[in-house]
Amino acid sequence: MDGTQGVTRRGVLKTLLAGSGVVMFGIGLPTREAAASAGSEVTSWVLIHPDNRVVIRIPQTELGQGVTTALAQVLAEELDLAWGEFDTEYYDAQTNLQRNNVYVHTSTLASWAVDKLFEPMRVAGAQVKHMLCATAAQDWGVDIASLSIAQREVRHAASTRAAGFGALAARAAELPIPAADALTLKEATHWQLIGKSMPRVDTRAKTTGAAIFGIDVALPGMKYAAVRQSPTFGGRLKGFDASGVLKRAGVREVVAIRGGPSGYNVPPTLWDVIDWQMDDAVAVVADSWWQAQQALNELPIEWEPGPQATADSAGIDQRLGAALDTAGQLTREEGDIERAFAAAERRVEAEYRYPFMEHAPLEPMNCTALVTAGGVEAWAPTQYADEALRIAAYAAGVALKDAKFHLTLSGGGFGRRLSNDFVSQAVQVAKALPGTPIKLISSREECMRRGYYAPVARARLRAAIGPDGLPTAWHSKVAYGRAPVQPYGMSRFPWAVPNVRCEYATVDSPPPFGWMRGVAHAQSLWMNTAFLGEIAAATGKTSLAMQRLLLDEAHVTTDRPDHDDAVARIRRHRDLLERVVARAGAETLAAPGHGRGFAVTDMSYVPGYYASCVAMAVDVAIGEDGDIRVLAVHAVADVGLAVNPDIVTAQIQGGIGFGLSNALNAQITLKDGQVEQANFNDYPLLTLAEMPTVDVELLPASGRPTGIGEDAVPVVMAALVDAVRAAGAAGIRSLPLRSRKSA
Amino acid sequence: MTTALKVNGKAVSLEADTDKPLLWVLREDLALTGTKYGCGIGACGACTVHVNGVAQRSCVLPLAGAADAAITTIEGLSADGTHALQQAWQALDVPQCGYCQSGMLMAAAALLASNASPTDADIDAAITNLCRCGTYVRIRAGIHRAAATLRGEVV
Repeated sequence: MDGTQGVTRRGVLKTLLAGSGVVMFGIGLPTREAAASAGSEVTSWVLIHPDNRVVIRIPQTELGQGVTTALAQVLAEELDLAWGEFDTEYYDAQTNLQRNNVYVHTSTLASWAVDKLFEPMRVAGAQVKHMLCATAAQDWGVDIASLSIAQREVRHAASTRAAGFGALAARAAELPIPAADALTLKEATHWQLIGKSMPRVDTRAKTTGAAIFGIDVALPGMKYAAVRQSPTFGGRLKGFDASGVLKRAGVREVVAIRGGPSGYNVPPTLWDVIDWQMDDAVAVVADSWWQAQQALNELPIEWEPGPQATADSAGIDQRLGAALDTAGQLTREEGDIERAFAAAERRVEAEYRYPFMEHAPLEPMNCTALVTAGGVEAWAPTQYADEALRIAAYAAGVALKDAKFHLTLSGGGFGRRLSNDFVSQAVQVAKALPGTPIKLISSREECMRRGYYAPVARARLRAAIGPDGLPTAWHSKVAYGRAPVQPYGMSRFPWAVPNVRCEYATVDSPPPFGWMRGVAHAQSLWMNTAFLGEIAAATGKTSLAMQRLLLDEAHVTTDRPDHDDAVARIRRHRDLLERVVARAGAETLAAPGHGRGFAVTDMSYVPGYYASCVAMAVDVAIGEDGDIRVLAVHAVADVGLAVNPDIVTAQIQGGIGFGLSNALNAQITLKDGQVEQANFNDYPLLTLAEMPTVDVELLPASGRPTGIGEDAVPVVMAALVDAVRAAGAAGIRSLPLRSRKSA
Repeated sequence: MTTALKVNGKAVSLEADTDKPLLWVLREDLALTGTKYGCGIGACGACTVHVNGVAQRSCVLPLAGAADAAITTIEGLSADGTHALQQAWQALDVPQCGYCQSGMLMAAAALLASNASPTDADIDAAITNLCRCGTYVRIRAGIHRAAATLRGEVV
């Protein structure tokens, strides 16, 4: 439902424009004000111009995952728009705030964009269609049911009358928005767009240099800022000597930035508390970013290193180990593992380690901000624009209503841009230079050293093996670095084991927490799958054979409270596993040093949470030098209804590259309180030459759409580790594989 | 001091520090923002442009090193987005976030200019740019497709 029901939308829009205070024109960017003033906002979702141009609003960040195309496809379907008959623009965070979250779901995370917005955007399209048709029906005195839409016209077949959207929109906008349950949405058999691989709306601009990312925002009189946060986590700024760098050509100012909140849903009340979200920083402002960064490199800065001055990776690992030696929070328990261990024929035990990993989107963190007497205006690529708006207002010290935030295209995200540290930093600098637009860019080194890393983890697994060679008990205990509770990674395995206990702990570790694409599934699926492989090896079976034995619904204990859910998951996982085995063509690779590995999972967080499910076969060859070459990946995916199958395929292809990059190479380490890696020379990403061939099969569409942004990541990592085992390198216990420690 | 360049076919005269990397000259002084900053150490290739027809990482090329050279950026790869590579990229929907793609296209264009029928191994060797979204499968397919188009084959 539209939160503005009962008030005319145009009235609301006028109020917003009058109240914003910092409206800027003529800056070469499509601002909401400029767009809105020329068209009619029929609802919050759709703007229609007098010339029939239709603009669909997208309440998610385009990170490359194709949300702009897929979500527009959904709304356009119900509005009977043909491809190419609409433009898109981002939603406005201030509008969303004032209209009581009319855009329903605006943070871009957890593969939720299409999952959560499919129905709202269908309804939004149908509402606009109804309002346009109702206007024409009134004009012509005909039954609304006799009207149809084609080529952005409402048409009455019996009388051959037609009216363009543009001629109807202003009056349609005055009508009440029909309730969702008063509308009949199209039957799937009538879909023209949903379920088809429509071309992406943003490809052309991304092949000509015309696409404007956050880092490309340009404002008149803009200056550039380079930024450095405390080199240690939790450090404080003591001071700096700006006298030298202020003499350098182009350098305008040196600004102290206060640490504070910047992250996901942080309440803006913690300003004076060092809460690990963002530390004190220094920015140099200059006519050129290059000048600013050069000067920053020369600037003498004095830091109070804080309580983590001596933290290092070895010490964090010790703390994780100590946590594993004490009882953790119980996150799953079935049966009686102690009895099963006491009765076991044999036991298998192993420990696994996952390092801090940096998301490393290719566009560095950046934000452009302008603070004036009227308020603050900011532009940035962020995964949570509502939060960016709040952070901008807070950092500027202005009322929320006096803040304006412009979401931009984003050069990747992968979870990194859920924190809005760059917004706070840019606004603080802009506040020190009122009236001057500031574009703040973090160098790659700054991004690498001050990330919101996927947390470090260490897990201890043990299994009891019964006389038939199957595990009778599974006990896992995981300890994470600083992280919210995320036990699902270790505990949501679908395998039928009669006695299960999963425990969970966190320890304090210096870097702030970040969610990374694949979240705890990416950290844990490979551990669980590798351990299953170790159990298989101990009982003379292949890993695939053991996966099959445990994906057997007959083995699900009947007294489990989630019995039906467990059986359904087992059937689905088994089905996809068999499909990918068939698609890959063989269970093993014969050539020496070659191995084929398998993994399958959904991205379910809790019992009853239904998510996409993906199975993969990964082929590797291990060279004489021990290096791993990934040759081929086969994937089979069940995403429910794929709104745009080619985009789903692209997400699986890309997720494979992302997961392989992480599993093979990614590792952030700490020494003397500081991150040791600085750039792509010591934090290497997967290269084109290392990318395997990828084959993707999507199951036929069924049901509703579920997410696919992340799913490939945990699955490819787990299948890779399984393949490396199959190729003869037993005992993978830690990532990344290229610095692996064998058992 | 004044540095003369030819950028996308146009003569340009600049007052800028000759140590300033070409990347930042293009982005800040010439408003050609299609060329991207990704690492500043020549590792990622997002800043790839052609300098006298050769693909180079502009983040580590001081303006002095580009003096009097003919520079081509993504904005000058074609007048209207119709270079064979751009068409192949559009046909295959190669980009995801798109941030690396200007550099990818410039590196690929330099490859095709010297090799009409690159093998997979040639592509592996020539395209060392980084893509974090993992679009490599489609980049490879796009290069093959563009090469075929340029050879006059129907794709």
